[in-house]
Amino acid sequence: MLPAIATRIATAAITLLLVTIVVFALLCALPGDASGEDEASRPLPPEYRAALRAHYHLDDPWPLRYGRWLGDLLRGDLGTSFTAQRPVTTLLRDRFAVSLALNALALLGMVGLAVPLGILGAWKPEGAWDRTGWIATSALHAVPVFWIAILLQWLFAVRLGWLPLAGVASDGARHASEARAFLDAVWHLVLPATCLASGGLAYVSRFVRTNLVESTAGDGGRAARARGLSTLQYVVRHGLLQAVVPLLTLAGFLIPRLVGGSLLVEQMFNVPGLGSLLFASILSRDLPVVLALTLVSGLATLAGTTLSDVLIVWLDPRVRHAA
Amino acid sequence: MPPRSSSIVLGLALVGVVAGLALLAPWLVEDPNRVDLGSVLAAPSSAHWLGTDGLGRDVAARLAYGARISVTIGFMAAFLSVLIGLPIGAIAGYAGGSADAAISRLIEATLCFPSLVITIALLSVGPSWLLGFSEPTRIALALSVVGWTPAARYLRAEFRRLGASQAIASARASGAGHARIIVRHLLPQSLGPVLVTLAFGVGAGALAEATLSFVGVGISLPTASWGELLFQALHQVGRAWWLAVFPGAALFTLVLGCNELAEGIRVWLDPRKRST
Repeated sequence: MLPAIATRIATAAITLLLVTIVVFALLCALPGDASGEDEASRPLPPEYRAALRAHYHLDDPWPLRYGRWLGDLLRGDLGTSFTAQRPVTTLLRDRFAVSLALNALALLGMVGLAVPLGILGAWKPEGAWDRTGWIATSALHAVPVFWIAILLQWLFAVRLGWLPLAGVASDGARHASEARAFLDAVWHLVLPATCLASGGLAYVSRFVRTNLVESTAGDGGRAARARGLSTLQYVVRHGLLQAVVPLLTLAGFLIPRLVGGSLLVEQMFNVPGLGSLLFASILSRDLPVVLALTLVSGLATLAGTTLSDVLIVWLDPRVRHAA
Repeated sequence: MPPRSSSIVLGLALVGVVAGLALLAPWLVEDPNRVDLGSVLAAPSSAHWLGTDGLGRDVAARLAYGARISVTIGFMAAFLSVLIGLPIGAIAGYAGGSADAAISRLIEATLCFPSLVITIALLSVGPSWLLGFSEPTRIALALSVVGWTPAARYLRAEFRRLGASQAIASARASGAGHARIIVRHLLPQSLGPVLVTLAFGVGAGALAEATLSFVGVGISLPTASWGELLFQALHQVGRAWWLAVFPGAALFTLVLGCNELAEGIRVWLDPRKRST
């Protein structure tokens, strides 16, 4: 079991390395660079631009620049942002907290709704709840996130005035106590998190339902019914445990969606998270920031898939003994 | 409600409505670019069934012409994605070994990076190979650069499953070469999942187009698109509900239709589920 896990982690590390190489090469291949050659509105004097290019080593061939970046990375230095003139680590720290809070809230809401919905559907397959749930999630799955965002903003922020329209903090929140500021931030993140969660809700609830129905219809379910357990009792006591493994696999694939998928939601609700930073840095060719974000996104994704693989080996006796 | 083959009928009907709207747009509605500053942001009325937008253009007309963009890009993106994913998945699933390992890492690496960001970057920075194409083709191409992974993954899994079967072993024993096994035996049997991916892909492509036009890197003005209407709606929250509701509903119809169609095909192809 341990060698299998080690191999999994090693391949993940290689993948991550490859991703950074490809992103680096791609960004270097794109027209224009951080010295702002494509900014016709504010031309720089040639000697100033040459100094800039030399300072950031923009004229070196990209493999050399990549090697330098990798060397710095191994020493724990992510470099300095070209545009913000601040160390990438400090630039990322605040935004990371915001993105983490947003995504955690979304994930919490999604799982908190999807699992009960799935159980409700599996309780009586083809029953009224199952049908209603299926239709509702079908519909929700086909609704564009930004449409939901517009409607939610209109209903809850403009019409009812219950929740803030955009941003992450009220005007006075800076001077409030820490607990109040935190609550204020969560308050601001309710609508964006709802939008973010809506996309995966259909996916996860159906996934739970299908797995529960299959395990209920199997030998285990039949044996449980023979012992006098009702379907609901079986689902809660045994079925859910069996659904955890496929759910973990799914979770591994959902993490990158949460990291990158929040771009649109962040833009619409004016939330200063990682997605909008990535977007802005690609446009300004801010290479160190783009690479750092690639690392974060890649690490989260690979950690998610690797962790779910490892947990599956650990949780599922069939896989554990086969390995 | 577990999917059943009636999903195919529902899906075809919904997609048919949108496709019909796209095809018949010139006969159904007026010029989508006719600006009427006298009736800016007019509510739905007998003159403008679905109201007008910020420049007094007829929303119904822009919706119908926008359907052309959505359907075209949806189909193109789905086909291109499958076209790229098919050979990659086939090689991984058939060859196995180091080719499979390399391709699996490639797929994993593609999934690591947020796809929307890549697409936006490709379209806004515009590498030279992309600029030679017409706008819808360019958007579809940019979408397929990241959209090929589902097709590749399904085909890889399908080829691996089928490759271990007795039918393939006996084909190989009777002297069939690699090309014959792939083209005559494996591909026809794995077309089901490919068809499902294709149907899902059309909806996803249309949704992505609207997203890109909404962000401002998709279809450029004055061409009508649903994303552009929704972008206007964002800035008229609470003032012009018709700008948000109608294009959203149109997009919803198309995507739901494609998803239902895909689910229906999946069930139809799976006799185990069909019988229940």
